[in-house]
Amino acid sequence: MEFLHSILVKPFADMIGAPDFLLQVLWEGLVSGVLYALIALGFVLIYKSSRIFNFAQGIMVVFAALSLVGLHEKGVPAWLAVPLTLVIMLGLAIAIERVVLRPLVNQPDIILFMATIGITLFLIGFGELIFGGENKVMITEQLGIPTGSFAFEPFGGFVSIEQKDLTAVIGAVLLVAGLLLFLNKSSMGRAIRALGDDHQAALSVGISLSMIWVVVWFIAGVIALATGIVWGARADVSFALEVIAYKALPVLMLGGLESVLGAIVGGLAIGLLEKLFEIYWGQPLLGGNTETWFAFVFALVILLFRPQGLFGEKIIERV
Amino acid sequence: MKKLLSTTILSATFAVGMLAAAPAFAEDVLHIPNLSYRTGPFAGTGIPLMNGQRDYMTMLNERDGGVNGVKLSYEECETGYNTEKGVECYEKTKGEGIVTQPWSTGITLQVLPKSNVDKRAILAPGYGFSPMADGKTFQWAFNPPSSYWDGAQMLLSYVSGGNLDSLKGKKIALIHLDHPYGKEPIPLLEALAAKHGFTFMAIPVGLKEMQNQSAQWLQIRRENPDFVFMWGWGAMNAGAVNEAVKTKFPMEKFLGIWWSGHDGDMASAGAAAKGYRAISWNVPVNDAPVMADIKNYVADAGKSDTPADQAGWVFYQRGIAISMFLVEAVKAAQANFNTKTVDAEQVRWGLENLKIDEAKLKELGMGGMVVPFQTSCSNHTGHGGAWIIEWDGAKFNKVSDQLQADRAAIEPLEAAKAKEYADANAPWPMQECK
Amino acid sequence: MLYRTAGQFKTSYAADHALFPVRQDAWLLGVIMVLAWVVFPLAASDFTFQALLIPVLIYSLAALGLNILTGYAGQLSLGTGAFMGVGAYACYKIMTIFPGLNLAVAIGLSGFFSAAVGVAFGLPSLRIKGFYLAIATLAAQFFLVWLFEKWSWLYNDSASGAIQVPNLSMFGLGVAGPTATSITQYYFVLAVVSLVTIAAINITRGRIGRMWKAVRDMDIAAELVGINLMKAKLSAFAVSSYIVGVAGALFVFLWRGAAEPNLFDIPLSFRVLFIAIIGGLGSVLGNYLGAILIVALPVILNIVPEALGIPVSSSVVEHLNVMTIGGLIIMFLIVEPHGLARFWAMIREKMIIWPFPH
Repeated sequence: MEFLHSILVKPFADMIGAPDFLLQVLWEGLVSGVLYALIALGFVLIYKSSRIFNFAQGIMVVFAALSLVGLHEKGVPAWLAVPLTLVIMLGLAIAIERVVLRPLVNQPDIILFMATIGITLFLIGFGELIFGGENKVMITEQLGIPTGSFAFEPFGGFVSIEQKDLTAVIGAVLLVAGLLLFLNKSSMGRAIRALGDDHQAALSVGISLSMIWVVVWFIAGVIALATGIVWGARADVSFALEVIAYKALPVLMLGGLESVLGAIVGGLAIGLLEKLFEIYWGQPLLGGNTETWFAFVFALVILLFRPQGLFGEKIIERV
Repeated sequence: MKKLLSTTILSATFAVGMLAAAPAFAEDVLHIPNLSYRTGPFAGTGIPLMNGQRDYMTMLNERDGGVNGVKLSYEECETGYNTEKGVECYEKTKGEGIVTQPWSTGITLQVLPKSNVDKRAILAPGYGFSPMADGKTFQWAFNPPSSYWDGAQMLLSYVSGGNLDSLKGKKIALIHLDHPYGKEPIPLLEALAAKHGFTFMAIPVGLKEMQNQSAQWLQIRRENPDFVFMWGWGAMNAGAVNEAVKTKFPMEKFLGIWWSGHDGDMASAGAAAKGYRAISWNVPVNDAPVMADIKNYVADAGKSDTPADQAGWVFYQRGIAISMFLVEAVKAAQANFNTKTVDAEQVRWGLENLKIDEAKLKELGMGGMVVPFQTSCSNHTGHGGAWIIEWDGAKFNKVSDQLQADRAAIEPLEAAKAKEYADANAPWPMQECK
Repeated sequence: MLYRTAGQFKTSYAADHALFPVRQDAWLLGVIMVLAWVVFPLAASDFTFQALLIPVLIYSLAALGLNILTGYAGQLSLGTGAFMGVGAYACYKIMTIFPGLNLAVAIGLSGFFSAAVGVAFGLPSLRIKGFYLAIATLAAQFFLVWLFEKWSWLYNDSASGAIQVPNLSMFGLGVAGPTATSITQYYFVLAVVSLVTIAAINITRGRIGRMWKAVRDMDIAAELVGINLMKAKLSAFAVSSYIVGVAGALFVFLWRGAAEPNLFDIPLSFRVLFIAIIGGLGSVLGNYLGAILIVALPVILNIVPEALGIPVSSSVVEHLNVMTIGGLIIMFLIVEPHGLARFWAMIREKMIIWPFPH
């Protein structure tokens, strides 16, 4: 009875008892959710257009952030460092397409997946060789990101909202909006979607596969840079950041591997739920640190009911 | 990068040229391996430490031609803080090396049982397993000058003004890495909480959540502890300090262990983290003679990897202190066994008879840089105590007198845990102490 | 020339079904066996045992377990590290509860625990497929490692949360713990690995193995021809996790000597997956070739600059190491996506028909 009470009643009583705290938890969850969605989006775009499950997205985040900070350290002003970093990410996209993807066209999914892990290892070694392993401080102020915070006092408590986080949320929304616009309105975007819908048909109407791949990997690089700036501003930029790629995986499971909408909804849902679960159930009952697995287990349970994720394409099997 | 590349190429060509002639220069050399980690998620904290260790050894070679005429060959084996690589490095270096410096609690735990068999001392200054202080049980392991339990007890006595009973009814939280290292102080803190009537809570941070600690800091906000102690490492420190700033946790209630007092970790929080304190058994003394020597013989000669502005870092100078411990042990062994090229067993004797007092530190040009301590057969830590250092927005400053741990509060637990370890690993060789 | 098969006639079905229908294969295996059982142990140094021979064997075993699941039954798993952890912790608990038990028995039993956990996490495979399943196995990976950290009963409430292998002996010889010699540990591991390999070869070429392969190639078609999908998939999970669990117990007891939960985290899973894929999915031999490559390569890369006398700092070596391994993985995938086993098969094929090109 006491046990049931601690699972079913007490957490909700706590939520109502301290509404300002609940708001803060929700805000933190929302911010992480937006970031998860952003990383997941990088995965989805690449999966949609090339059926590659790109494990290297995490290291691309680190690589982009390190390039930005590294360029700034070399004396490049911040306004120039950002476009230069984008040029580097473009170079990376072209290199990956040329060296890795082109020779592997038509291989089974798992081989391509392994190849992206190979890319990850390569970039870890390469990045450490160039930039060194020290933690770097993100050039938050130089990029014009405000660093103060807003404090509210609802329900007699207080809620603090970091301007950095707010900027991140707004920036992410703009980026996603721009991306959707690009995918839906531009001819390149249509080509990407066409490729996602039907490879053969897209190729037969003259869409260039290698061109699209470069574009898609470059977009993933842009997303990586955005994620890197935001996450680097919250904590430092270091190779430990690479593990945030894992966070995108349950988001993909939940939202569906091919769905842009799924990545966004899944990211927000997981960000909010894992924070709520950790604060109200994980910490008091399970010894904390449940965020490492909650999202996976939650997504697994959902998958049992919808094997293709919430927004994934229905799996039709033919014999 | 360019410099690195050119030095690599230059030295490579040089070495190839020298290859044929190399054996002719055979001379007395002491091999000092170090299981370093300049790569991986913890590299940020590892690099300044390793640089300090190397620079001190280089300085001795340049200034004095080694130790009593024997050159020191400092050799790094890269582990990336990965225990698997660590064991490989241990196996690789155990032939020639006179000591093992495992540099991670995980690797220490792996090599600890092997040290009895391979007869090579483990030097784990300020880390490893706290019961290693018991020299009777752990005859091959040394963790001078203070153990984690000493550190935890000193932190408690510092925040309570020396009287732990005044903490009654208070709440103390420990935010720690969810890893053997971070869990190390928990048994002692739990025991002291029961004894002195304060509430203790552990808040783990997973290795994957090091840079995403908002849940942990929300918990701290909810629980509103009177003090938060931190056992953090690598990227976790910077993450925690940033989150503390963000949640407006008062910095004067936030104290870290010596591995959480790293200048590099504080850089991103900067002035906002002013007032954050850490306990440390070394403090930077930039005008110490030894620093001048390192500048003259190593940095100015282009033999150091440390940027000039990092020479004043706590961790860089801690690396220097650690190398000093080892070199002093070698010197003690040389004097006692009357031989220049000491072997691993003799170095163990040296570590066991290490006497670093104020006079010795003065003589070495390191006065005030590290706490004085003395090891013995039954005491492998030395329990030198520590200072409190405070972040002023740009660097750490010493803000307390030297603290000493209340050993009476720690010893029973230490003895119990050492016995537990020995029993679990029976037959475990013990040594007799006079 | 060496591999001429001419003149070797099969006169019975049994001969046709033999493990080595070509005589030269049997000879080659004999040579390898002599190397493994006699030459290596006599020649190896402590470092060779600890850094090369023992880990190669243990990693091959883990990869063999994974290969049964992924290569034969077609279910991609990213949770191998955690299942190895289950085996290791189970063995540790068995040895604490029954201190006098023979270590070989304990290791054999511990496999059953990981098999049970494997089946439990394999249940979703009945509904989830492909990458979705791969991510689902990650749920096992992260949840189990978290559990190893939190469930203090598993590590006997030790303060550091790590497990230590005590000194254990069998028939008066120390096999585990700090006092055991490398050579006895090597023979122990070699014996276990040989036994499991023989069993695995026979399972995979028998009825069950064919069932798995049918499911792998197309599960709906397999179901239509009367294969019970549930039985096939779950049996693959069980057998695979059993072998992986045994490998995990060997990993900690016969090699590492101590373990903390982090050891079983995702890098270990990926390492085993690399071995299975570089070696060749759906092949037993491939696991050995893959393990030799993945385990030995970093060790050799570390030694090379030193041996040549090039003074490169160890961190630069490590960076180059990681880059090289990443690059080699990509290269192998491009050159031969079916792995080293296929590579060997091609060489053998060429040798049989030599000197003719076709």
